[in-house]
Amino acid sequence: MSDVAIDMRGISKQFGPVKALDNVDLQVRKGSIHGLVGANGAGKSTIIKVLAGIYKHDSGNVCVGDKTLDVIAPASIEKDGVHFIHQDRLLVPTATVAEAVFLNNEPRRGFLLDIKRMRKEASDLIKKHFNLDIDANALIRDLSAAQQKIVQITRALACNARVLVLDEPTAALVAAEVSSLFRVLRALRDENIAIIFISHYMQEIMEICDDVTILRNGRNAGNVVASDSSIEEIVSLMVNRDTSEMYPRREARIDEPVLELKDASRTGHFEGVNLTLHKGEVLGLTGLLGSGDKQLLKCIFGLDQPDSGTIALNGGAVKFKAPGEAVDAGIAMIPEDRRAHGVAVDLSVSDNISIASTARHAIRGFVNKIFEAKLVDGLIEELGVKTPDRFLPVKNLSGGNQQKVVVAKWLSCDSSVYLLDDPTVAVDVGAKVEIYNLMNRLAGEGKAILFVSSDLEETVEMCDRILVIYRGKIVGEYKRGEINSDRLLAVASGGAPSGLREVS
Amino acid sequence: MDNVKKSIISLEALSNYIVLFAFAAIVVIFSVTTDNFLSLENLYNVVANKVVLLAIVSLGMTIVIAAGGIDLSVGVSVDISGLTFFSLLAAGYSAVLGVGAGLVAALLVGLFNAFLINKLKIDAFLATLGVLFIGSSVQRLATNGGTPITLTTEEYSPIFRAISDSQLFGLPSPVWILVGCSIAVYLLLHKMVFGRFVAVLGAKPGVALYSGVRVPRELSKVFVYCALLCGIAGILLSSQVKSYIPLSGDAFLLDAIGATFIGTALTKDRRPTVIGTLMGVFLLAIMRNGLLLIGWNFFWQQVGIGVLVFVVLALSFGLRRREE
Repeated sequence: MSDVAIDMRGISKQFGPVKALDNVDLQVRKGSIHGLVGANGAGKSTIIKVLAGIYKHDSGNVCVGDKTLDVIAPASIEKDGVHFIHQDRLLVPTATVAEAVFLNNEPRRGFLLDIKRMRKEASDLIKKHFNLDIDANALIRDLSAAQQKIVQITRALACNARVLVLDEPTAALVAAEVSSLFRVLRALRDENIAIIFISHYMQEIMEICDDVTILRNGRNAGNVVASDSSIEEIVSLMVNRDTSEMYPRREARIDEPVLELKDASRTGHFEGVNLTLHKGEVLGLTGLLGSGDKQLLKCIFGLDQPDSGTIALNGGAVKFKAPGEAVDAGIAMIPEDRRAHGVAVDLSVSDNISIASTARHAIRGFVNKIFEAKLVDGLIEELGVKTPDRFLPVKNLSGGNQQKVVVAKWLSCDSSVYLLDDPTVAVDVGAKVEIYNLMNRLAGEGKAILFVSSDLEETVEMCDRILVIYRGKIVGEYKRGEINSDRLLAVASGGAPSGLREVS
Repeated sequence: MDNVKKSIISLEALSNYIVLFAFAAIVVIFSVTTDNFLSLENLYNVVANKVVLLAIVSLGMTIVIAAGGIDLSVGVSVDISGLTFFSLLAAGYSAVLGVGAGLVAALLVGLFNAFLINKLKIDAFLATLGVLFIGSSVQRLATNGGTPITLTTEEYSPIFRAISDSQLFGLPSPVWILVGCSIAVYLLLHKMVFGRFVAVLGAKPGVALYSGVRVPRELSKVFVYCALLCGIAGILLSSQVKSYIPLSGDAFLLDAIGATFIGTALTKDRRPTVIGTLMGVFLLAIMRNGLLLIGWNFFWQQVGIGVLVFVVLALSFGLRRREE
């Protein structure tokens, strides 16, 4: 009995000309939480997919416990005690908690399901491991994101998991849920379960992990003990870049107002919002989940309509009934859910970039292919989209490059107001910096940017001005440098500490 | 290593050309096992009678499926157009007016679909299924429970005869109408801005919305174009059989869906295309014809078609999955 739970050595995997993994090692001790970090495209998900049997590695050895696995099949890896909690919660929304916990492992009586036992054991397991009371008959869709994660983990425990792989487990969770998840993970570690923890959030990695493996460009870039290391060290191993460059600076040249909201309200979402956005300005709008910030963006973009109040663009009142009208007026949206709203991953880079502007350049309804080729190639070069040509399907690009495709789409139709809805969510540090550079560049060209972000630090660092929204009302306005992220959090949470300038 | 790679490349190529292989295989098999399969007369028969109508309906279905939807009401558009056309002829109106009114009737079916989908937010599958049911009733009600409308030979006007009985450069005029429709749909889907919107709607409707595409407007066009093509098929159908037979359009529905999906097996990214759909239609038609010539009766023909669909799609998708 060794104390190594997972031992992957010399793993290589090639996709066409791209070496996704080059001689990568990953050792995870039993009873430890092991961080796996790297920029997008560094090979994190590839090595996890090799372990899950989704990809077949070209060379190298995989051992789980004392057992060497020659062939890994997705169906059998769970029998070896390795369970995967994927980023997007793969639970059937209409199943009950009990059904989800015992999916594919149902207790039976004869050839019938033993539903009673299923319910009881599901509740017991959740109680035992997490000290939580979740109704075993509740439907998955009625649970919070954190509860759904817990159900997934419980399912793994019901199958006697020895290794848990969590891919971005905190991406959809709010702070309180994250800390309860962390309590759970520590308890599991004490039960000698090995946990592989993949995250973009460096603070979380430092807080929860014992060891950290850093990948860069498909190779091992380092292994560190978290308690002896620092975020700066890990990030510099990830990207070979000093973190002081994380938030690039720019000389703000703030010009005349472009977008003005007066007393805008939408019942149940926000009320009495006054907001002015200027040319060349990055205006931050920050609030907790459900504070109305995202709804406000939707109303500006024509996805929803305010019940009262006015929206003016370049001095003229506008009422957009659909996004198409907002787009024609020069408003661009970089949506939070890139894969659902930003890019059609099966279509080419060219089709994605040209979709918003193709009608404008058309000749009697026909696509102007010569013009389009020039436009798209120009934007690919200008933004540095890493793609061999414009015909590559977008799914083959990294997250940061996909986001550049979204920006290129709006540059192609010369939009003047950019609505950014959490553009850096679930992208790696390297891609974040590229997005910040893009923001600065757009602002430098005189575009107006309304930046909604759940990351308070980036809001403080990137914005010329910050509006704080709390329960649908603007409760504070700060210029760059007037507030730090801790105080911003306090204001966004509804506590209004004295000494700060408040908007009445 | 190299060996593995080579075989994967050939598998991929194979999966992309599976429809062509199936096509060739079927032609060879039937040429050997029957005397007259390859005869000009038989091929003419296949093209003129079997292919044209299904192909036109399938082109409409291709537009809808490319946009991520489905139209179960194609048969209704075919029939309503034929019903309107023949009702007007029987009442003594000119063929030109009849054709115009038939196409307008089909267009209204398309608009009704669009209304259900855009305004009432009903899923395309259910909306067009409802229209399919309503359309059947409308036809029965309008024809005393399903009596065909026929004309006496004296009532045939020269224009009416010209629709299906004339020839141009040695080919029947319906074939030329199909050529025209194919070119039009090809331009729409593969050369025009509309085709771009269709592709995005089919790939990710949310991206279309968030890119400023007028989604309801484009969806309306999708269903109207499909209905119009079906309307053309309906007029050709009733001209060919010299009568309007209620509910005869229903026969096209499953074949059109089948042909479109067989056609997607032709393309690398598995998207519906005009060329692919036409190949799918030909494949179905020659399969039917060949089975008929070797003496299979109608009931067994359906089995043959079913197996064909399995083989083409299983091979195409199976090979592809292995490659991934």
